[in-house]
Amino acid sequence: MVRKGYGIEPTEHILDEFPEHSKFDVAIVGGGPNGLIAAAYLARAGLRTIVVERRHEVGGGLATEETLFPGYYTNPHAVYHMMTDYMPLFRDFDLDAHGLTFVKPNAQTAAVFTDGTSVMLCNQVEDTKDSIAKFSQRDANRFGKVMRSWRRLVDDVIAPGTYLPPMPPMDMIEAFERTDAGREVLRLTEMSPLEIVNELVEDDRVRMLLLYAACMWGLNPHESGLGFLVPLYIDRAANKALCYGGSHKLAGTLSREILRNGGVVLDNAEVTSFIVEDGRVTGLEVFDGRVIEAKAVLSSLPPPLTFGELLPAEHVPPELRRVSDEWEWDDWSFFTLAVATKDAPRYETDDPWVNDAFMVVTGFDSTEQLLRHWDNVLAGRLDLDCVGGHATVETRYDPTLVRIPGHHVSFLQVHVPGDVEGGWKARHDELAECLLARWRRYSPNLTPDNIVLSTAESPLDIETRLPNMVRGSIKHGAYNALQMGVFRPHDTCVAGRTPVEGLYLCGASSYPGGLVIGGPGYIAANSVADDLGARKWWTPPRYVQRYRETYLS
Amino acid sequence: MPEETFDVVVVGGGHNGSTIAAYLAKSGLSVAVCEARPECGGGQENTEPRPGFRIDPHATYLYGGAAPGFDQLELWKYGMRMVYYPSMSGVVTLDGVAANMGSRWRPDIGEESTRRYFPDGNGGGGGLVDALTEPAMRELLRALFWTPPHPRQHEIDEADLPWWQVFRKHVPELWTERLVDMSYCDFLEEFVPWEPARVLSAMGAWYCGAHPNWDGMMLPSLGGGMLFGYSGGSPRGGMHTYAHAIIRCAIAHGARILTNSPVEEIIVRNGRAIGVRLAADASFPEKTIWARKAVISGADVKQTFLHLVGRQHMDAGFAQRVADVSLKGGSLFVMSVICRELPKYHGRDDAFPEDVYPSCVVGPADSMDFFYAQTRDAYSHTKVPASLTPEHLTMMICSHDQYDPTRTPDGYHVLSPIYLECPPPQYDVEGPEGYNRHKQEIVDAALALIERMAPNMHSDNIVDVFVNTPYDSEFRNAGMSGGNWYGARQSADQWFGTRPMPELARYRTPIDGLYMCSQSMHPGGLCLMAVPYNLMHILIEDGVVEPASWWYPSEWYVPENGRRKAEVA
Repeated sequence: MVRKGYGIEPTEHILDEFPEHSKFDVAIVGGGPNGLIAAAYLARAGLRTIVVERRHEVGGGLATEETLFPGYYTNPHAVYHMMTDYMPLFRDFDLDAHGLTFVKPNAQTAAVFTDGTSVMLCNQVEDTKDSIAKFSQRDANRFGKVMRSWRRLVDDVIAPGTYLPPMPPMDMIEAFERTDAGREVLRLTEMSPLEIVNELVEDDRVRMLLLYAACMWGLNPHESGLGFLVPLYIDRAANKALCYGGSHKLAGTLSREILRNGGVVLDNAEVTSFIVEDGRVTGLEVFDGRVIEAKAVLSSLPPPLTFGELLPAEHVPPELRRVSDEWEWDDWSFFTLAVATKDAPRYETDDPWVNDAFMVVTGFDSTEQLLRHWDNVLAGRLDLDCVGGHATVETRYDPTLVRIPGHHVSFLQVHVPGDVEGGWKARHDELAECLLARWRRYSPNLTPDNIVLSTAESPLDIETRLPNMVRGSIKHGAYNALQMGVFRPHDTCVAGRTPVEGLYLCGASSYPGGLVIGGPGYIAANSVADDLGARKWWTPPRYVQRYRETYLS
Repeated sequence: MPEETFDVVVVGGGHNGSTIAAYLAKSGLSVAVCEARPECGGGQENTEPRPGFRIDPHATYLYGGAAPGFDQLELWKYGMRMVYYPSMSGVVTLDGVAANMGSRWRPDIGEESTRRYFPDGNGGGGGLVDALTEPAMRELLRALFWTPPHPRQHEIDEADLPWWQVFRKHVPELWTERLVDMSYCDFLEEFVPWEPARVLSAMGAWYCGAHPNWDGMMLPSLGGGMLFGYSGGSPRGGMHTYAHAIIRCAIAHGARILTNSPVEEIIVRNGRAIGVRLAADASFPEKTIWARKAVISGADVKQTFLHLVGRQHMDAGFAQRVADVSLKGGSLFVMSVICRELPKYHGRDDAFPEDVYPSCVVGPADSMDFFYAQTRDAYSHTKVPASLTPEHLTMMICSHDQYDPTRTPDGYHVLSPIYLECPPPQYDVEGPEGYNRHKQEIVDAALALIERMAPNMHSDNIVDVFVNTPYDSEFRNAGMSGGNWYGARQSADQWFGTRPMPELARYRTPIDGLYMCSQSMHPGGLCLMAVPYNLMHILIEDGVVEPASWWYPSEWYVPENGRRKAEVA
């Protein structure tokens, strides 16, 4: 962490610098989406707030960077914004004033098969039904009806639950028994994603696409216990939005809200430890020796970093020591091949509209092939003859990402194990070449002539860029029944509070989890505002209030 | 969509655009900055094309340490931090010189190495730099860079220009009238006896804007080197952190920053600039933005008038003078090399031990003939040198991570930037893409030369190479016509009262309400916060802005006849 030289003490300071010692009400470790959201709410509540970020840019996964140098920006992490319809911050802040715009195309998630056929999930369900009907009229009809009921589950139960503290399991069962929607959520919870999809449709190719949409964010297709997320992910697979100008624009917009309310954003400032006085966290220390005192310190880092590295060992409660030691990182991660091209990738398929799709899945002609790939990944293996994933032409909806007019940036992203047999350094180039060749099978214009630049990033690269995503864990830790709900990260840490006074959690390793849904940051901001007696200038959205009245009273 | 109106609209959120926005917002005006790229900062940028490795595609040192802007804008509040270096520069030759020149914090390092190679005495600075200690140095730099050009009606003898006044005051014993007409090369020949030190100084000046062989520019050329030495380090994390401090200051005072919002037109009605029109695909919803008081262009002079304003609003003579502004000087071929070990020049580990390793090394610096050969390639032949041999390839090789661990992962270094001067693309005899066609050849030749000077820089030590040519820079950085960092040649014909042409020197333009705030203006590039500071004097004179008591004008500022003086009331 700390290495090399630090320069020298000058005989005279030629300009004033950020002070060696400063005092704030709130200090937030990590300027990812949740850290920024918490800071934006708290700064506007009148608390003097600082965000302390290790990288040269805030945003964490909200990154838009010139990874294809020179001249081509990509979003190397978050691209698909799934919760823009629900995140309270979009109602609470006037983000439009900063030019923050989301594009939610109708053509959302397609799959293209080797025989040129395709199926596509659209934002408008009737368009999806038209596409599914090519394979099975029964599936099309059934899909339409089920999606209508799942939309209600998402609206009434799953989405609002994202922005309130979790209930203990027994309370939740009791509460959900009160309504039809709640009972359906409980029923689905006990099913595996594969069972749910099999129950929903019969055509194997349609199943493949739905299973992909249900599990691509890290649900194990065979495990039960988290089945309630399947309706959410399939619904959201038809409701993804792209942040125009790049995902970083959301981060930039949030930091502007922080700054306008007197907050501070300090980057290139890796935090090396929390300061503890009388058992209470009272501040933090930055690698360059600067000390920041705060009444509340919020960590957006996962338990092995928060409790394993930053909090001095003698102050870590035993149960959190155990969480930190036994924390399970994501079951799988991503390997991403990005290309800058003169012409956008063009798929040879029966439906030209697929070329407008936000996401195109290729590589799997059957559910069996998809499962074989995922089973390999879960076992830490790679079979280059059975690998596939999803591709996006980022410039299809956002031409501002490239500095060379008319050119395009696209990527193909596949699931891979966090650690692979042989190690990522050895396997990197091999997989990148394999992916390009496989992508070209579906999109023949990805020729060397057309490709201006390309780059590939493995889970190791994800961790290098964002060290909190250990082994490429984009969600800061696996989604399984033991690390979800009230157990994320542990049932002594609810609503962002921890047993350690002064220390709060606000990152993706806290309930409800990652993927830029903004839940952990919002929930922690509520707790900190309450604890510090700050004026809560916001009220929960109506759908959240309704959920609270129905299930929490 | 409601119409958007601001007091001031700034075109371009590069260094100068962001800084003027901060000044104006702090003065209480409503300001919008329209930036084409996803990120503001312009040439003040650090990018991470490979995970973990931050490169500097443009600016790399804090030249602006003497800027009034640090106090006036209180950048410390917004996270400004520095890293100071024990050694700023070193110089190497093909025949085995590897001299560490130290820094202002460790002058002993430079003295010891020059003594080693040049035992007869001071081989480096002719006593001038030594004579100019604080506060004289700061005063001289402020006279050179942080002073608006005098009004056209103000007659002044060249020898009385602000910097010569300061020079005479502090080093009267070195003053002669001859200095005024000298080029920096003349000065080096006369006062700097040691050849590698001459090459180091000459190349250093060239990278700062004013080519050392341009007559009448001795002190501005030397001034570039002084800016470098004065700061003695870089912002923590790189130049983009400095940009962040400026942008955050602007935002904290209410400025609106509109990224991904390129300006396509500066709207002019009845001879007055009243707003801007954004590109149709701009991210900001409303594409027409009105300006109540002023439109300020952070774009270079050519784009501002020939593209954004358009010839329909100017006479043919003016348009031709804009077209004729020379872009020579400051178009750089930039390489960033990721490696495992820092270069060990000629195996002389002892010359550059790791704790005092120079943050930039200029070489090969055997002879001024190398420097002149490269100048001819760039400005006379205007093409990739026919022979990519060492005498055509003197480079500046920078590395910061030995002093700043934020820039690279453990076990690696990044040599970034490595600068090679070359012709602006428009002047390239092979056409604008000339240098791009030869990218790989140039990289190969440069790496071979680095290996010749530092044998450990073999292919096993090199992990990755990134390149941006001036042509690339023109695309990447909307404001860099000709890939030129200084926006216009910094020769006597385009400096101070004549920069970039006499009628624009005071930052006003023939279009009412349109002001210039780019590196085309005095005193050029280098992220000094100087163009905006100088422009503030003019905006106060014109009643556009009234800053509070934190503002102070330049000591050498001469007010325009008949206008209010740019002082706090």
